[in-house]
Amino acid sequence: MVKMETRLNTPFLNTPFLVVEGVTFGYGREPLLYNVHVQVQAGEMVGLLGPNGSGKTTLLRLLSGVYRPQQGRILLEGHDLQQWGRRTVARRIAVVPQELHMPFAFTVEQMVSLGRTPFVDFLGSLGERDKNIVKDALQAAVIESLADRVFNHLSGGERQRVMIAMALAQEPRLLLLDEPTSHLDIKFQIETLELVQHLNRERGVTVIAAMHDLNLAARYFPRLILFQRGIVADAAPAEVLEPGVLRRVYGVNVQVGILRGAEHISVLPPGSKPSGEATEGQLNGPGQKPIVHVIAGGGSGELMMRALADTHVPFIAGALNIGDSDHTLALRLADEVITEQPYAPISPAILAQVRASLAAVKLLIICPMPIGSGNLALLREAVIAAERGLPVLLLAGTTDITGRDYTGEGQPLWDVLLQAGARAVESVVEAMDAVKQLS
Amino acid sequence: MKIASEKTTIERRSVKRPVKGLRTLPSALALFILSGVLLAVILISVSFGSIPIPIGAIAQILLNGTGIFHFTRQWDPTAELIIWQVRMPVVIGTALVGAALAVAGVLFQGMLRNPLADPYLMGTSSGAALGAAIAFVLPFDTVYGSFFSLTPVLAFVGAMLTVLFVYSIARSDGQAPVVTLLLAGVVINAVLVALQTLILTLSPHAQFGLQALFNWLSGGVSATSWPPIFVVGTIILVGIAFSLILSRSLDAFALGEEGAAHLGLNVERRKFIIIVVGSLLTAAAVSISGLIGFVGLVTPHVMRLLLGPRHRLLLLASALAGAIFLTLADLLARVVIAPSVLPVGIFTALIGAPFFLFLLRSSKRDYRW
Repeated sequence: MVKMETRLNTPFLNTPFLVVEGVTFGYGREPLLYNVHVQVQAGEMVGLLGPNGSGKTTLLRLLSGVYRPQQGRILLEGHDLQQWGRRTVARRIAVVPQELHMPFAFTVEQMVSLGRTPFVDFLGSLGERDKNIVKDALQAAVIESLADRVFNHLSGGERQRVMIAMALAQEPRLLLLDEPTSHLDIKFQIETLELVQHLNRERGVTVIAAMHDLNLAARYFPRLILFQRGIVADAAPAEVLEPGVLRRVYGVNVQVGILRGAEHISVLPPGSKPSGEATEGQLNGPGQKPIVHVIAGGGSGELMMRALADTHVPFIAGALNIGDSDHTLALRLADEVITEQPYAPISPAILAQVRASLAAVKLLIICPMPIGSGNLALLREAVIAAERGLPVLLLAGTTDITGRDYTGEGQPLWDVLLQAGARAVESVVEAMDAVKQLS
Repeated sequence: MKIASEKTTIERRSVKRPVKGLRTLPSALALFILSGVLLAVILISVSFGSIPIPIGAIAQILLNGTGIFHFTRQWDPTAELIIWQVRMPVVIGTALVGAALAVAGVLFQGMLRNPLADPYLMGTSSGAALGAAIAFVLPFDTVYGSFFSLTPVLAFVGAMLTVLFVYSIARSDGQAPVVTLLLAGVVINAVLVALQTLILTLSPHAQFGLQALFNWLSGGVSATSWPPIFVVGTIILVGIAFSLILSRSLDAFALGEEGAAHLGLNVERRKFIIIVVGSLLTAAAVSISGLIGFVGLVTPHVMRLLLGPRHRLLLLASALAGAIFLTLADLLARVVIAPSVLPVGIFTALIGAPFFLFLLRSSKRDYRW
């Protein structure tokens, strides 16, 4: 407890413990994460959610300092991670990997003492203090009885405990876990998360964990961040685990209920209709029927989508590629999002979805996005809809779009749109006036 | 189900007892025993030869050599000359080569987390062989008339250049991934072997060169004076000392490169240092011994089975065990059909393989990569 108090009283309390500032990162030329901003206070326990390939693990790697952001920076206690040496970072941040393959027959105690690596001298001898810390870590993870066992002979749950103990031996202020429960049965899942929660509460270790199991995440993490190449939602479980958001991000229908008698939220598959006895307050399925379709991209739709969401106008956005900042924002704000794979051209199936949506809505708003070959297909759909009589607004509309037309074919389509009755509006405010007349 | 599984765990543990007992052998005791065995093997090895000299006399001669002891001379004065000038350089050189190869094996296996890694993996062997081949076809024997003969110098240079070349090929974007390193090593090996064949085929002294190269490739220390042993010995001892400093990093590398980075290691820099130290050891060894296989591959495995995986003990024990192993193999190579000398590589494989397989089978549960 003493330890915890001293930590809470550090002068860093005023500046946030961990700050992610406009971080952009990608393995190749194309960014995987774009302009991510997060702040975490000391002592928080944060769950990181998101589908496979959403960039959760990459974000953890950036937070651990192993990867260097291409843009932006990550500050721990006010210091840029990249300015610190690896050793200095390892004295503050420990990482528990998803799984560990050990080629050699290290015993549990030897493994845990590896956690002292950032603290020992070049000959690697453990001092009295190091030995005590290793002992303490073994105790904290309740694996003293396994100390002399060979790591490779342990069960999955026991290994997870050893890896957590090894991380603890680093005396970390920030503990990062990459899907700590994904290989475990339910008993070990719960034990592992109880252990992590205990460390968070008793030792004041700040925890950020990538999680696959939404229900466990809701149960153990007071704050959840929903991630899809960027932050879609960042709030308490009740707010983040909202069926509409989950459907848009994971691309599958779910229902969310509150189990009677327990305080926690439960995400269920759509097929099993909740019997009234089991759940209450369940809200599922799509919200209101969208009346506006927004075509955007590259950040051009931000103001428009925010304005629509603020005035509670149900809208559909798309098609947008995963990883586009407008996509991340749309997942949060729109009632429905038509999603295409990252950097892929828009496929016929997705175009058909766009066409169906345009047939159902009362208004189409085209934001001033850059026009590449993908958006060209969307413009053609817009032309078809406009010729059919759908009202179309061209935001920040000018008659000349050659500046953002990378194909040379955009301008002719634009002219056709204008001839078909599309109206150019100067600002979001003007567009909102048109939207209000709909209802 | 639960009870049954726990029972088998307990049973498995009790089966492992004997091996576990060995593992908990205090490291100081293990090193003491190995040092004693090494001394004994060196003495025995020195006593064999065309003129048999009793071990007692050898011990006295050697102790006199230290300048601390003064035993009265009860032996033929030529014995002293034979021991100091003929046999000791070879035996000490052999022990050093064995130690160097075993330590290099530990370094590469630990860094690459690959049980098949051996000191020659990164192209040292073909680089050294190419250097030797060039030396054999050149019309002079020494470097500017110094006491260094040309073959070891070119073999050493060839080995080091090859490794650095392989590393620089494998490295891109500040990283040298293990798979790329291994593949680059294999490809460069093939290219250098081709070049070596080409040189020997086109050379006017081809016949002579081929025979010399064959002898060199089959391995064996044939030192005739101390200076090369001193030079090589210095490189090897410094290399072993340096590898001890790397032992903590090697332990961390067992967690994988990312795990090592999380423990505060600058992984790419460490990898480069390990490669350089391992290759220096290998190149130094190869320069006086030619290509001796098996020592660098098997000694680390045997020591790991007996003493556990922690690298500080493993490196020291492997150095001693490698020296013992190669000295013994060399002894056999000299005495089996004396006075002819067989290639030492025959015996490293013939003694090493059964011993290793026996250990592997008796504790196969414990040894999984």
